Amino acid sequence: MRIFERLFPVLALVVPLAGVVWTIDQFGSAGVERVSTEALIRLVFAIGLYIFAGNSGIVSFGHMTFCAIAAYATAWQTCCAMLKPITMSGLPAFIRDNTFPLLPAALTSIGLAGVVAFTSGLILMRLSSLSASISTLALMFILNVIYSNWTTVTMGSSTIVGLPVYVTIWIALGCAALVIVIAYLYQVSRWGLMLRATREDEVAAQASGTSLYWSRLIAFTLSGFVAGLAGVLFAHFMGTVSIANFFLNHTFLIVAMLVIGGMQSLAGAVVGVTFISVVIELFRRAEVGFSVGSMQMSIPAGSQELILAGIMLLILIFRKAGIMGGKELRWPWSVRDDGTVAGVGQVRLARSANCHR
Amino acid sequence: MLEVKQMVAGYGRLTALKGVDITVKEGEVVFVVGPNGAGKSTLLKTISGLMTPTAGEIRFQGDRIDGRGPETLCRRGLALIPEGRHIFKTLTVQENLQVGAMIRKDSADVRSDMEMVLDTFPILRERFKGVAGYLSGGEQQQLAIARSILQRPALLMIDEPSLGLAPLVIDQVYDSLRKLNETGLTLLIVEQSTGRVMELASRIYVLRNGKVVLEGDREELTDTSALDAAYFGFSSDAA
Repeated sequence: MRIFERLFPVLALVVPLAGVVWTIDQFGSAGVERVSTEALIRLVFAIGLYIFAGNSGIVSFGHMTFCAIAAYATAWQTCCAMLKPITMSGLPAFIRDNTFPLLPAALTSIGLAGVVAFTSGLILMRLSSLSASISTLALMFILNVIYSNWTTVTMGSSTIVGLPVYVTIWIALGCAALVIVIAYLYQVSRWGLMLRATREDEVAAQASGTSLYWSRLIAFTLSGFVAGLAGVLFAHFMGTVSIANFFLNHTFLIVAMLVIGGMQSLAGAVVGVTFISVVIELFRRAEVGFSVGSMQMSIPAGSQELILAGIMLLILIFRKAGIMGGKELRWPWSVRDDGTVAGVGQVRLARSANCHR
Repeated sequence: MLEVKQMVAGYGRLTALKGVDITVKEGEVVFVVGPNGAGKSTLLKTISGLMTPTAGEIRFQGDRIDGRGPETLCRRGLALIPEGRHIFKTLTVQENLQVGAMIRKDSADVRSDMEMVLDTFPILRERFKGVAGYLSGGEQQQLAIARSILQRPALLMIDEPSLGLAPLVIDQVYDSLRKLNETGLTLLIVEQSTGRVMELASRIYVLRNGKVVLEGDREELTDTSALDAAYFGFSSDAA
Protein backbone atom coordinates (compact mmCIF):
# COMPACT_ATOMS: atom_id res chain seq x y z
CA MET A 1 0.00 0.00 0.00
CA ARG A 2 2.83 2.39 0.84
CA ILE A 3 4.45 1.74 -2.53
CA PHE A 4 1.13 2.43 -4.20
CA GLU A 5 0.91 5.65 -2.21
CA ARG A 6 4.39 6.72 -3.29
CA LEU A 7 3.71 5.93 -6.94
CA PHE A 8 0.30 7.59 -6.87
CA PRO A 9 1.39 10.91 -8.45
CA VAL A 10 2.62 8.96 -11.49
CA LEU A 11 -0.18 6.41 -11.66
CA ALA A 12 -2.82 9.12 -11.38
CA LEU A 13 -1.43 10.61 -14.59
CA VAL A 14 -0.53 7.52 -16.61
CA VAL A 15 -3.59 5.37 -15.95
CA PRO A 16 -6.20 7.92 -17.13
CA LEU A 17 -4.08 8.68 -20.20
CA ALA A 18 -3.94 4.98 -21.02
CA GLY A 19 -7.71 4.73 -20.53
CA VAL A 20 -8.34 7.61 -22.93
CA VAL A 21 -5.96 6.14 -25.51
CA TRP A 22 -7.64 2.74 -25.28
CA THR A 23 -11.06 4.33 -25.79
CA ILE A 24 -9.84 6.28 -28.81
CA ASP A 25 -8.15 3.20 -30.23
CA GLN A 26 -11.38 1.22 -29.91
CA PHE A 27 -14.02 3.76 -30.84
CA GLY A 28 -12.37 6.88 -32.22
CA SER A 29 -12.11 7.86 -35.88
CA ALA A 30 -8.76 7.96 -37.66
CA GLY A 31 -8.81 11.75 -37.38
CA VAL A 32 -9.27 11.72 -33.62
CA GLU A 33 -6.52 9.15 -33.28
CA ARG A 34 -4.14 11.33 -35.29
CA VAL A 35 -4.88 14.42 -33.24
CA SER A 36 -4.46 12.47 -30.00
CA THR A 37 -1.14 11.04 -31.12
CA GLU A 38 0.12 14.52 -31.87
CA ALA A 39 -1.09 15.71 -28.46
CA LEU A 40 0.80 12.86 -26.77
CA ILE A 41 4.00 13.82 -28.62
CA ARG A 42 3.49 17.41 -27.50
CA LEU A 43 3.10 16.03 -24.00
CA VAL A 44 6.51 14.37 -24.28
CA PHE A 45 7.99 17.71 -25.29
CA ALA A 46 6.10 19.62 -22.60
CA ILE A 47 7.38 17.25 -19.92
CA GLY A 48 10.89 17.67 -21.27
CA LEU A 49 10.48 21.42 -20.89
CA TYR A 50 8.92 20.94 -17.45
CA ILE A 51 11.91 18.94 -16.17
CA PHE A 52 14.01 22.07 -16.57
CA ALA A 53 11.57 24.99 -16.35
CA GLY A 54 9.24 23.57 -13.70
CA ASN A 55 11.93 22.52 -11.27
CA SER A 56 14.32 25.44 -11.80
CA GLY A 57 11.75 28.22 -12.20
CA ILE A 58 13.59 29.40 -15.33
CA VAL A 59 11.37 29.33 -18.41
CA SER A 60 13.19 28.08 -21.47
CA PHE A 61 12.01 29.31 -24.85
CA GLY A 62 14.71 27.40 -26.66
CA HIS A 63 13.88 23.73 -26.18
CA MET A 64 12.63 23.45 -29.78
CA THR A 65 16.34 23.59 -30.64
CA PHE A 66 16.92 20.13 -29.22
CA CYS A 67 13.71 18.88 -30.77
CA ALA A 68 14.87 20.08 -34.21
CA ILE A 69 18.37 18.67 -33.81
CA ALA A 70 17.04 15.20 -33.03
CA ALA A 71 14.40 15.33 -35.78
CA TYR A 72 16.98 16.25 -38.41
CA ALA A 73 19.45 13.71 -37.09
CA THR A 74 16.96 10.88 -37.42
CA ALA A 75 15.89 12.15 -40.85
CA TRP A 76 19.50 12.05 -42.06
CA GLN A 77 19.84 8.47 -40.90
CA THR A 78 16.56 6.91 -41.97
CA CYS A 79 15.12 8.91 -44.83
CA CYS A 80 14.91 8.39 -48.54
CA ALA A 81 17.92 6.32 -49.58
CA MET A 82 17.57 7.18 -53.25
CA LEU A 83 17.18 10.96 -52.97
CA LYS A 84 19.56 11.59 -50.10
CA PRO A 85 22.81 11.68 -52.11
CA ILE A 86 21.29 14.38 -54.34
CA THR A 87 19.19 16.51 -51.98
CA MET A 88 21.53 16.35 -48.99
CA SER A 89 24.87 16.01 -50.71
CA GLY A 90 26.74 17.76 -47.91
CA LEU A 91 26.18 14.93 -45.41
CA PRO A 92 29.23 12.87 -44.42
CA ALA A 93 29.58 9.92 -46.80
CA PHE A 94 28.74 7.16 -44.31
CA ILE A 95 25.43 8.80 -43.49
CA ARG A 96 24.67 9.91 -47.04
CA ASP A 97 25.17 6.48 -48.57
CA ASN A 98 23.64 4.32 -45.84
CA THR A 99 20.25 3.92 -44.25
CA PHE A 100 20.30 3.03 -40.57
CA PRO A 101 17.84 0.89 -38.60
CA LEU A 102 15.11 2.89 -36.85
CA LEU A 103 15.93 2.21 -33.20
CA PRO A 104 19.67 2.98 -33.33
CA ALA A 105 18.87 6.06 -35.39
CA ALA A 106 16.37 7.23 -32.78
CA LEU A 107 18.79 6.62 -29.90
CA THR A 108 21.73 8.40 -31.52
CA SER A 109 19.49 11.35 -32.43
CA ILE A 110 18.25 11.65 -28.86
CA GLY A 111 21.84 11.36 -27.70
CA LEU A 112 22.91 14.16 -30.01
CA ALA A 113 20.14 16.42 -28.70
CA GLY A 114 21.27 15.71 -25.13
CA VAL A 115 24.90 16.43 -25.94
CA VAL A 116 23.97 19.74 -27.57
CA ALA A 117 21.84 20.62 -24.52
CA PHE A 118 24.77 19.85 -22.23
CA THR A 119 27.25 21.84 -24.31
CA SER A 120 25.06 24.91 -24.65
CA GLY A 121 24.09 24.58 -20.99
CA LEU A 122 27.76 24.82 -20.01
CA ILE A 123 27.56 28.47 -21.04
CA LEU A 124 23.88 29.37 -20.61
CA MET A 125 23.49 27.98 -17.08
CA ARG A 126 26.13 30.41 -15.80
CA LEU A 127 23.64 33.21 -16.40
CA SER A 128 21.12 34.36 -13.84
CA SER A 129 17.53 33.30 -14.33
CA LEU A 130 16.06 35.94 -16.65
CA SER A 131 19.21 36.18 -18.78
CA ALA A 132 19.22 32.40 -19.07
CA SER A 133 15.61 32.47 -20.31
CA ILE A 134 16.35 35.03 -22.99
CA SER A 135 19.55 33.31 -24.05
CA THR A 136 17.69 30.04 -24.70
CA LEU A 137 15.59 32.01 -27.17
CA ALA A 138 18.80 33.23 -28.80
CA LEU A 139 19.96 29.61 -29.04
CA MET A 140 16.83 28.69 -30.98
CA PHE A 141 17.33 31.60 -33.38
CA ILE A 142 20.93 30.57 -34.01
CA LEU A 143 19.87 27.02 -34.84
CA ASN A 144 17.01 28.24 -37.00
CA VAL A 145 19.30 30.46 -39.07
CA ILE A 146 21.91 27.74 -39.49
CA TYR A 147 19.46 25.00 -40.47
CA SER A 148 17.52 27.32 -42.82
CA ASN A 149 20.68 28.15 -44.75
CA TRP A 150 22.75 24.97 -44.58
CA THR A 151 21.12 23.85 -47.81
CA THR A 152 23.39 20.95 -48.73
CA VAL A 153 22.75 19.22 -45.40
CA THR A 154 19.32 20.30 -44.18
CA MET A 155 17.71 21.20 -47.53
CA GLY A 156 17.38 24.71 -46.16
CA SER A 157 13.83 25.80 -45.54
CA SER A 158 12.42 23.04 -47.75
CA THR A 159 10.76 20.05 -46.19
CA ILE A 160 12.51 16.69 -45.98
CA VAL A 161 9.92 14.07 -46.94
CA GLY A 162 9.81 10.32 -46.93
CA LEU A 163 10.76 9.40 -43.38
CA PRO A 164 9.43 6.03 -42.23
CA VAL A 165 6.20 6.59 -40.29
CA TYR A 166 6.08 4.25 -37.31
CA VAL A 167 4.72 6.34 -34.45
CA THR A 168 1.28 5.01 -33.55
CA ILE A 169 -0.86 6.25 -30.69
CA TRP A 170 0.41 3.39 -28.51
CA ILE A 171 4.07 4.24 -29.15
CA ALA A 172 3.34 7.88 -28.34
CA LEU A 173 1.58 6.81 -25.14
CA GLY A 174 4.47 4.52 -24.18
CA CYS A 175 6.97 7.36 -24.61
CA ALA A 176 4.74 9.81 -22.70
CA ALA A 177 4.43 7.33 -19.81
CA LEU A 178 8.17 6.75 -19.85
CA VAL A 179 9.02 10.46 -19.62
CA ILE A 180 6.40 11.00 -16.90
CA VAL A 181 8.18 8.33 -14.85
CA ILE A 182 11.60 9.84 -15.64
CA ALA A 183 10.43 13.34 -14.74
CA TYR A 184 8.95 12.11 -11.46
CA LEU A 185 12.00 10.10 -10.47
CA TYR A 186 14.15 13.11 -11.25
CA GLN A 187 12.09 15.57 -9.25
CA VAL A 188 12.12 13.45 -6.10
CA SER A 189 15.81 12.65 -6.50
CA ARG A 190 18.61 14.43 -4.68
CA TRP A 191 19.36 16.62 -7.70
CA GLY A 192 15.71 17.40 -8.34
CA LEU A 193 15.22 18.41 -4.73
CA MET A 194 18.27 20.67 -4.86
CA LEU A 195 17.01 22.33 -8.03
CA ARG A 196 13.57 22.94 -6.52
CA ALA A 197 15.33 24.46 -3.51
CA THR A 198 17.16 26.90 -5.82
CA ARG A 199 13.83 27.77 -7.41
CA GLU A 200 12.43 28.76 -4.03
CA ASP A 201 15.44 30.61 -2.70
CA GLU A 202 18.80 30.91 -4.44
CA VAL A 203 20.64 32.31 -1.43
CA ALA A 204 19.47 29.68 1.03
CA ALA A 205 20.06 26.90 -1.48
CA GLN A 206 23.64 28.01 -1.99
CA ALA A 207 24.08 28.31 1.76
CA SER A 208 22.93 24.68 1.98
CA GLY A 209 25.71 23.59 -0.34
CA THR A 210 23.81 23.53 -3.62
CA SER A 211 25.57 24.71 -6.75
CA LEU A 212 23.13 26.74 -8.85
CA TYR A 213 25.21 26.01 -11.94
CA TRP A 214 25.45 22.23 -11.66
CA SER A 215 21.92 21.61 -10.45
CA ARG A 216 20.58 23.63 -13.40
CA LEU A 217 22.96 22.10 -15.92
CA ILE A 218 21.91 18.56 -14.99
CA ALA A 219 18.23 19.39 -15.46
CA PHE A 220 18.91 21.26 -18.71
CA THR A 221 20.76 18.25 -20.13
CA LEU A 222 18.09 15.76 -19.05
CA SER A 223 15.35 17.93 -20.52
CA GLY A 224 17.41 18.19 -23.72
CA PHE A 225 17.34 14.40 -24.05
CA VAL A 226 13.56 14.32 -23.55
CA ALA A 227 13.01 17.16 -26.04
CA GLY A 228 15.14 15.12 -28.45
CA LEU A 229 12.84 12.14 -27.97
CA ALA A 230 9.90 14.40 -28.82
CA GLY A 231 11.75 15.51 -31.96
CA VAL A 232 12.25 11.92 -33.11
CA LEU A 233 8.59 11.16 -32.46
CA PHE A 234 7.45 14.26 -34.39
CA ALA A 235 9.65 13.30 -37.35
CA HIS A 236 8.42 9.71 -37.55
CA PHE A 237 4.82 10.68 -36.90
CA MET A 238 4.61 13.29 -39.67
CA GLY A 239 7.02 11.55 -42.00
CA THR A 240 8.40 14.97 -42.84
CA VAL A 241 10.84 17.38 -41.22
CA SER A 242 10.86 21.12 -41.76
CA ILE A 243 12.70 23.74 -39.72
CA ALA A 244 9.63 25.99 -39.77
CA ASN A 245 7.87 23.52 -37.48
CA PHE A 246 10.51 23.95 -34.80
CA PHE A 247 10.18 27.64 -34.19
CA LEU A 248 8.24 30.27 -32.30
CA ASN A 249 4.69 29.07 -33.00
CA HIS A 250 5.23 25.65 -31.57
CA THR A 251 7.38 26.94 -28.71
CA PHE A 252 4.79 29.39 -27.50
CA LEU A 253 1.96 26.90 -27.87
CA ILE A 254 3.73 24.53 -25.51
CA VAL A 255 4.82 27.25 -23.09
CA ALA A 256 1.16 28.34 -23.03
CA MET A 257 0.12 24.76 -22.24
CA LEU A 258 2.56 24.67 -19.32
CA VAL A 259 1.47 28.07 -18.01
CA ILE A 260 -2.20 27.12 -18.18
CA GLY A 261 -1.72 23.72 -16.56
CA GLY A 262 0.69 24.98 -13.95
CA MET A 263 4.40 25.23 -14.59
CA GLN A 264 5.56 23.93 -11.23
CA SER A 265 4.18 20.42 -11.20
CA LEU A 266 4.21 17.36 -13.40
CA ALA A 267 0.45 17.08 -13.07
CA GLY A 268 0.21 20.67 -14.31
CA ALA A 269 2.14 19.82 -17.47
CA VAL A 270 -0.09 16.84 -18.23
CA VAL A 271 -3.33 18.67 -17.45
CA GLY A 272 -2.25 21.74 -19.47
CA VAL A 273 -1.37 19.78 -22.59
CA THR A 274 -4.54 17.68 -22.42
CA PHE A 275 -6.83 20.61 -21.74
CA ILE A 276 -5.41 22.87 -24.45
CA SER A 277 -5.24 20.09 -27.02
CA VAL A 278 -8.94 19.39 -26.50
CA VAL A 279 -9.85 23.09 -26.67
CA ILE A 280 -7.82 23.63 -29.85
CA GLU A 281 -9.34 20.61 -31.55
CA LEU A 282 -12.90 21.61 -30.64
CA PHE A 283 -12.49 25.11 -32.02
CA ARG A 284 -10.59 23.91 -35.07
CA ARG A 285 -13.59 21.77 -35.90
CA ALA A 286 -15.92 24.66 -35.23
CA GLU A 287 -13.90 26.77 -37.66
CA VAL A 288 -14.24 24.09 -40.32
CA GLY A 289 -17.98 24.04 -39.65
CA PHE A 290 -20.50 21.65 -38.19
CA SER A 291 -24.15 21.07 -38.90
CA VAL A 292 -26.98 21.43 -36.42
CA GLY A 293 -30.04 19.83 -37.99
CA SER A 294 -30.13 21.22 -41.51
CA MET A 295 -28.14 24.37 -40.62
CA GLN A 296 -24.45 24.63 -41.43
CA MET A 297 -22.60 26.66 -38.82
CA SER A 298 -19.01 27.76 -38.39
CA ILE A 299 -17.03 30.31 -36.44
CA PRO A 300 -14.61 32.75 -38.10
CA ALA A 301 -11.17 31.43 -38.96
CA GLY A 302 -8.53 32.33 -36.41
CA SER A 303 -10.90 32.37 -33.44
CA GLN A 304 -9.12 29.28 -32.09
CA GLU A 305 -5.97 31.38 -31.48
CA LEU A 306 -8.02 34.13 -29.85
CA ILE A 307 -9.71 31.66 -27.52
CA LEU A 308 -6.33 30.24 -26.54
CA ALA A 309 -5.00 33.72 -25.80
CA GLY A 310 -8.16 34.47 -23.81
CA ILE A 311 -7.79 31.35 -21.68
CA MET A 312 -4.18 32.18 -21.00
CA LEU A 313 -5.07 35.70 -19.89
CA LEU A 314 -7.81 34.43 -17.58
CA ILE A 315 -5.43 31.93 -16.01
CA LEU A 316 -2.74 34.56 -15.49
CA ILE A 317 -5.22 36.93 -13.88
CA PHE A 318 -7.21 34.56 -11.70
CA ARG A 319 -4.98 31.56 -11.10
CA LYS A 320 -1.38 32.51 -11.58
CA ALA A 321 0.02 29.11 -10.65
CA GLY A 322 -2.07 27.37 -13.34
CA ILE A 323 -4.96 24.93 -13.20
CA MET A 324 -3.11 22.54 -10.90
CA GLY A 325 -1.63 25.38 -8.84
CA GLY A 326 1.82 23.81 -8.79
CA LYS A 327 0.55 20.73 -6.96
CA GLU A 328 0.91 17.04 -7.66
CA LEU A 329 -2.01 14.70 -7.37
CA ARG A 330 -1.66 13.01 -4.03
CA TRP A 331 -2.91 9.87 -2.40
CA PRO A 332 -6.30 10.80 -0.89
CA TRP A 333 -5.60 9.42 2.59
CA SER A 334 -2.21 10.92 3.22
CA VAL A 335 -1.10 13.92 5.23
CA ARG A 336 -2.40 17.41 4.52
CA ASP A 337 -0.38 20.52 3.73
CA ASP A 338 -0.55 21.66 7.33
CA GLY A 339 0.64 18.29 8.59
CA THR A 340 -2.65 16.74 9.72
CA VAL A 341 -4.24 13.73 8.07
CA ALA A 342 -6.87 14.42 5.44
CA GLY A 343 -10.39 13.03 5.70
CA VAL A 344 -11.45 9.98 3.73
CA GLY A 345 -12.67 10.67 0.21
CA GLN A 346 -10.93 13.98 -0.32
CA VAL A 347 -8.26 14.17 -2.99
CA ARG A 348 -5.54 16.18 -1.35
CA LEU A 349 -3.11 18.25 -3.35
CA ALA A 350 0.46 18.75 -2.25
CA ARG A 351 2.76 21.74 -2.49
CA SER A 352 0.85 24.88 -3.02
CA ALA A 353 2.78 27.37 -5.07
CA ASN A 354 0.52 30.12 -3.76
CA CYS A 355 1.26 29.95 -0.11
CA HIS A 356 2.68 33.09 1.44
CA ARG A 357 3.30 34.88 -1.82
CA MET B 1 38.76 29.10 13.97
CA LEU B 2 37.69 32.09 11.91
CA GLU B 3 39.91 35.11 11.36
CA VAL B 4 38.87 38.14 9.38
CA LYS B 5 41.67 40.65 8.76
CA GLN B 6 41.28 44.18 7.42
CA MET B 7 38.42 43.08 5.21
CA VAL B 8 36.94 45.58 2.75
CA ALA B 9 33.75 44.82 0.84
CA GLY B 10 30.95 46.72 -0.80
CA TYR B 11 28.42 47.08 -3.56
CA GLY B 12 29.86 48.83 -6.61
CA ARG B 13 31.03 52.27 -5.50
CA LEU B 14 29.52 51.92 -2.06
CA THR B 15 31.96 50.51 0.47
CA ALA B 16 30.03 48.79 3.25
CA LEU B 17 32.95 47.36 5.20
CA LYS B 18 36.05 49.50 5.62
CA GLY B 19 38.70 47.24 7.07
CA VAL B 20 37.09 44.94 9.62
CA ASP B 21 38.92 42.55 11.96
CA ILE B 22 36.99 39.79 13.65
CA THR B 23 38.12 36.61 15.36
CA VAL B 24 35.98 33.66 16.39
CA LYS B 25 37.48 30.89 18.51
CA GLU B 26 36.19 27.36 18.74
CA GLY B 27 33.18 26.92 21.02
CA GLU B 28 32.46 30.65 21.30
CA VAL B 29 29.27 32.56 20.69
CA VAL B 30 30.32 35.79 19.04
CA PHE B 31 27.83 38.56 18.45
CA VAL B 32 28.14 41.39 15.97
CA VAL B 33 25.73 44.19 16.73
CA GLY B 34 25.17 47.52 15.11
CA PRO B 35 22.53 49.88 13.74
CA ASN B 36 21.01 49.75 10.25
CA GLY B 37 23.56 50.06 7.50
CA ALA B 38 26.52 49.23 9.70
CA GLY B 39 27.58 46.43 7.37
CA LYS B 40 26.52 43.46 9.53
CA SER B 41 24.81 41.48 6.79
CA THR B 42 27.57 42.34 4.33
CA LEU B 43 30.03 40.89 6.81
CA LEU B 44 28.24 37.53 6.96
CA LYS B 45 27.62 37.44 3.20
CA THR B 46 31.30 38.04 2.53
CA ILE B 47 32.52 35.44 5.02
CA SER B 48 30.13 32.84 3.61
CA GLY B 49 31.23 33.50 0.03
CA LEU B 50 28.04 35.09 -1.30
CA MET B 51 30.10 38.25 -1.87
CA THR B 52 33.78 38.63 -2.70
CA PRO B 53 35.85 41.02 -0.54
CA THR B 54 37.81 43.71 -2.38
CA ALA B 55 40.67 43.64 0.12
CA GLY B 56 41.80 41.86 3.25
CA GLU B 57 41.78 38.19 4.06
CA ILE B 58 39.52 35.59 5.64
CA ARG B 59 40.92 32.44 7.22
CA PHE B 60 38.82 29.49 8.31
CA GLN B 61 40.54 26.71 10.26
CA GLY B 62 43.86 28.09 9.04
CA ASP B 63 43.11 28.27 5.31
CA ARG B 64 42.41 31.31 3.16
CA ILE B 65 38.78 31.13 2.06
CA ASP B 66 38.09 34.57 0.59
CA GLY B 67 36.86 34.32 -3.00
CA ARG B 68 35.57 30.75 -2.64
CA GLY B 69 31.95 30.01 -3.60
CA PRO B 70 29.29 29.51 -0.92
CA GLU B 71 28.64 25.87 -1.76
CA THR B 72 32.35 25.05 -1.37
CA LEU B 73 32.52 26.75 2.01
CA CYS B 74 29.34 25.03 3.10
CA ARG B 75 30.97 21.68 2.41
CA ARG B 76 33.91 22.77 4.56
CA GLY B 77 31.67 23.34 7.56
CA LEU B 78 30.76 27.01 7.33
CA ALA B 79 26.99 27.42 7.43
CA LEU B 80 24.96 30.60 7.03
CA ILE B 81 21.35 31.31 7.84
CA PRO B 82 20.62 34.40 5.77
CA GLU B 83 18.52 37.27 7.05
CA GLY B 84 14.77 36.91 6.90
CA ARG B 85 14.15 33.18 7.21
CA HIS B 86 15.13 31.85 3.82
CA ILE B 87 13.27 28.57 3.71
CA PHE B 88 11.99 26.73 0.65
CA LYS B 89 8.33 27.66 0.89
CA THR B 90 6.66 25.26 -1.50
CA LEU B 91 8.68 22.27 -0.30
CA THR B 92 7.63 20.26 2.74
CA VAL B 93 9.37 20.55 6.09
CA GLN B 94 10.87 17.14 5.44
CA GLU B 95 12.24 18.20 2.08
CA ASN B 96 13.65 21.42 3.55
CA LEU B 97 15.55 19.38 6.11
CA GLN B 98 16.71 16.93 3.45
CA VAL B 99 18.20 19.78 1.43
CA GLY B 100 20.17 20.73 4.54
CA ALA B 101 21.56 17.21 4.88
CA MET B 102 22.26 16.94 1.16
CA ILE B 103 25.99 17.56 1.37
CA ARG B 104 26.53 14.65 3.74
CA LYS B 105 27.22 11.11 2.66
CA ASP B 106 26.76 9.27 5.99
CA SER B 107 23.07 8.42 5.80
CA ALA B 108 22.88 6.62 9.16
CA ASP B 109 24.26 9.67 10.96
CA VAL B 110 21.90 11.92 9.04
CA ARG B 111 18.98 9.89 10.30
CA SER B 112 20.07 10.16 13.92
CA ASP B 113 20.77 13.89 13.48
CA MET B 114 17.32 14.29 11.95
CA GLU B 115 15.84 12.73 15.11
CA MET B 116 17.99 15.07 17.19
CA VAL B 117 16.77 18.25 15.49
CA LEU B 118 13.18 17.03 15.58
CA ASP B 119 13.61 16.56 19.34
CA THR B 120 15.08 20.05 19.64
CA PHE B 121 12.28 21.58 17.55
CA PRO B 122 9.16 19.49 18.31
CA ILE B 123 6.93 21.69 16.13
CA LEU B 124 8.86 20.50 13.06
CA ARG B 125 8.08 16.88 13.87
CA GLU B 126 4.42 17.79 14.11
CA ARG B 127 4.51 19.49 10.70
CA PHE B 128 7.02 17.10 9.14
CA LYS B 129 5.03 16.33 5.98
CA GLY B 130 3.46 19.76 5.77
CA VAL B 131 4.35 22.58 3.40
CA ALA B 132 6.97 24.89 4.91
CA GLY B 133 5.30 28.07 3.64
CA TYR B 134 2.39 27.39 6.01
CA LEU B 135 4.59 27.62 9.11
CA SER B 136 4.49 30.75 11.24
CA GLY B 137 7.45 33.14 11.33
CA GLY B 138 9.00 31.64 14.44
CA GLU B 139 8.52 28.12 13.16
CA GLN B 140 10.16 29.09 9.88
CA GLN B 141 13.15 30.48 11.76
CA GLN B 142 13.40 27.23 13.70
CA LEU B 143 13.23 25.33 10.43
CA ALA B 144 16.02 27.46 8.97
CA ILE B 145 18.18 26.76 12.02
CA ALA B 146 17.34 23.05 11.98
CA ARG B 147 18.22 22.85 8.29
CA SER B 148 21.62 24.41 8.88
CA ILE B 149 22.38 22.11 11.80
CA LEU B 150 21.82 19.10 9.56
CA GLN B 151 24.80 20.28 7.51
CA ARG B 152 26.74 19.58 10.71
CA PRO B 153 28.73 22.78 10.42
CA ALA B 154 31.78 23.67 12.47
CA LEU B 155 30.71 27.31 12.50
CA LEU B 156 27.13 28.49 12.15
CA MET B 157 26.50 32.11 11.17
CA ILE B 158 23.06 33.57 11.73
CA ASP B 159 21.82 36.88 10.40
CA GLU B 160 19.30 38.43 12.83
CA PRO B 161 17.65 35.34 14.32
CA SER B 162 15.18 37.51 16.24
CA LEU B 163 14.02 39.61 13.27
CA GLY B 164 10.27 40.09 13.31
CA LEU B 165 9.63 37.57 16.07
CA ALA B 166 7.60 38.01 19.25
CA PRO B 167 9.64 38.12 22.50
CA LEU B 168 8.32 34.73 23.59
CA VAL B 169 9.38 33.17 20.31
CA ILE B 170 12.79 34.83 20.53
CA ASP B 171 13.15 33.09 23.90
CA GLN B 172 12.59 29.75 22.18
CA VAL B 173 15.04 30.52 19.42
CA TYR B 174 17.74 31.73 21.82
CA ASP B 175 17.11 28.76 24.03
CA SER B 176 17.75 26.39 21.16
CA LEU B 177 20.87 28.35 20.18
CA ARG B 178 22.21 27.97 23.71
CA LYS B 179 21.57 24.22 23.63
CA LEU B 180 23.38 23.95 20.30
CA ASN B 181 26.37 25.88 21.65
CA GLU B 182 26.49 23.53 24.62
CA THR B 183 26.87 20.61 22.21
CA GLY B 184 30.02 22.28 20.87
CA LEU B 185 28.75 24.32 17.93
CA THR B 186 30.51 27.64 17.38
CA LEU B 187 28.17 30.51 16.59
CA LEU B 188 28.63 33.89 14.92
CA ILE B 189 25.41 35.86 15.27
CA VAL B 190 24.47 39.25 13.89
CA GLU B 191 21.81 41.21 15.76
CA GLN B 192 20.40 44.67 15.40
CA SER B 193 19.54 45.16 19.04
CA THR B 194 21.86 44.75 22.00
CA GLY B 195 19.01 43.72 24.27
CA ARG B 196 19.29 39.93 24.24
CA VAL B 197 22.94 39.69 23.41
CA MET B 198 24.43 39.57 26.90
CA GLU B 199 22.72 36.37 27.98
CA LEU B 200 24.43 34.28 25.32
CA ALA B 201 27.56 36.07 24.09
CA SER B 202 31.13 35.06 24.84
CA ARG B 203 32.33 38.08 22.89
CA ILE B 204 30.75 41.10 21.27
CA TYR B 205 31.73 43.36 18.40
CA VAL B 206 29.96 46.63 17.74
CA LEU B 207 29.96 47.61 14.08
CA ARG B 208 29.25 51.17 12.94
CA ASN B 209 29.58 52.58 9.43
CA GLY B 210 31.63 49.63 8.29
CA LYS B 211 34.12 49.67 11.16
CA VAL B 212 34.47 47.85 14.45
CA VAL B 213 34.07 50.56 17.06
CA LEU B 214 34.11 48.35 20.14
CA GLU B 215 35.02 44.78 20.96
CA GLY B 216 35.25 42.86 24.17
CA ASP B 217 34.41 39.77 26.19
CA ARG B 218 31.16 39.63 28.04
CA GLU B 219 32.90 40.27 31.37
CA GLU B 220 34.54 43.41 30.05
CA LEU B 221 31.29 44.83 28.76
CA THR B 222 29.10 44.39 31.82
CA ASP B 223 28.90 48.17 31.92
CA THR B 224 26.33 48.45 29.15
CA SER B 225 26.73 52.20 28.86
CA ALA B 226 29.98 51.70 26.92
CA LEU B 227 28.12 49.37 24.60
CA ASP B 228 25.29 51.81 24.10
CA ALA B 229 27.72 54.65 23.52
CA ALA B 230 29.53 52.72 20.83
CA TYR B 231 26.27 51.60 19.31
CA PHE B 232 24.80 55.06 19.09
CA GLY B 233 28.10 56.71 18.22
CA PHE B 234 28.53 58.99 21.25
CA SER B 235 32.06 60.24 21.71
CA SER B 236 34.14 57.74 23.66
CA ASP B 237 34.87 60.00 26.63
CA ALA B 238 31.16 60.31 27.23
CA ALA B 239 31.00 56.53 27.73
